[in-house]
Amino acid sequence: MTDQENPDNENAMAAEYVLRLLDVEEHAAFEVRLRDDPALRAEVTEWEAHFAKIAQDVQPVTPPSHVKASVFAALNPTTSSRKSTWKWFAGLGTFAAAVAVAVLFIGPVLRSTESLTPSFQSELVAADGSLVVTAGVIPATHEIVLKQLVGGAAPGRVLELWLIAQGASAPVSLGLLEAEGTTRIRVPDEIAPGVRTGTIAISDEPAGGSPTGAPTGAILATGTFVDL
Amino acid sequence: MTTPADIEAMIAQVSLRDSNAFSALYDATSAKLFGVCLRVLNNRGEAEEVLQEVYIRIWHKADTYAVTGHSPMTWLITLARNLAIDRLRKRKLPTKPIEDVFDLADDRPGPEAEAMASSDRTQIKACLEELDPKHADAVKRVYLGGETYKELADSQNVPLNTMRTWLRRSLLKLRECLTR
Repeated sequence: MTDQENPDNENAMAAEYVLRLLDVEEHAAFEVRLRDDPALRAEVTEWEAHFAKIAQDVQPVTPPSHVKASVFAALNPTTSSRKSTWKWFAGLGTFAAAVAVAVLFIGPVLRSTESLTPSFQSELVAADGSLVVTAGVIPATHEIVLKQLVGGAAPGRVLELWLIAQGASAPVSLGLLEAEGTTRIRVPDEIAPGVRTGTIAISDEPAGGSPTGAPTGAILATGTFVDL
Repeated sequence: MTTPADIEAMIAQVSLRDSNAFSALYDATSAKLFGVCLRVLNNRGEAEEVLQEVYIRIWHKADTYAVTGHSPMTWLITLARNLAIDRLRKRKLPTKPIEDVFDLADDRPGPEAEAMASSDRTQIKACLEELDPKHADAVKRVYLGGETYKELADSQNVPLNTMRTWLRRSLLKLRECLTR
């Protein structure tokens, strides 16, 4: 009898998953099963609720006021004072409200697994729905596989993918998207650790990509990385 | 006193991009979530960074709250705890056992925690008490200290597989008790 068939194992594994006791491969495999198994998801929800009560004994500690200021600055860049390299980010503020949350499971990109197929999915959607791009991550190779489902670059223009790592002073170009269809972009090893907590953005650029190393055109879609 | 219904209403407003509600939600819940981050990470600077990440996540994910089926504090605590564990796991530095930093015996709930607690808390407490004390302690250390099977096995001086078998058995006993 396999783990999947034994309800006891199933339940224990759901608890281990919630506690983060599974190893990398088990954790990823469990997440794949969670997607198609509502009963298993219910089990996970139940364990989360039980274990969260353990934290009710934790003493509240008032955080320093600069944390709140940082949160609001991060969510509303137009009201924060930032270096000029961040000016382009101002436009993002208006997008932030309408941009769909990208669900890019890029954390495991930092771990090694043998699988060469995408294990994690994401979706970047422009505020007006004119651009829809999904992203899948291949953890073993640090690759992001982008698929343009709706829209694309304007004639004579290209789409460029950027990473704004948390606390970084400027966005970093990850590369250009193909004119249509699928693009594979390998994230350099030194950048990969910042991807999980950063923001990715797609901008409209002249042919050949931004000539300045910073986004020069409109930011069309962005996503923050969210674990489900 | 902020009730769970108040917090739920704030989350609903946040999902509509109401920054005043977001500010109120932060004021009502950040001390609790900061406590959780501090407890897991045992490092103020990191806990502050993770707390910031938690609220940015809340802003973006508020619209998914309703479908989780969680009570508002459970949702918030789970989010904070998981992000703190992520940060802990990324860190390669060895950590001190949590007992060296926090006096667990003196960890009685404060007034706020008490107000948020429900009769459910006594249920998980009672059920943990039914376990072998070593295993109940292990469950708490894993949840709030982010310990791994390897660390638990090393601290209890048993092979990793033995540790896993013991803890899994305890988790099933816990489940049986909680659904009783």
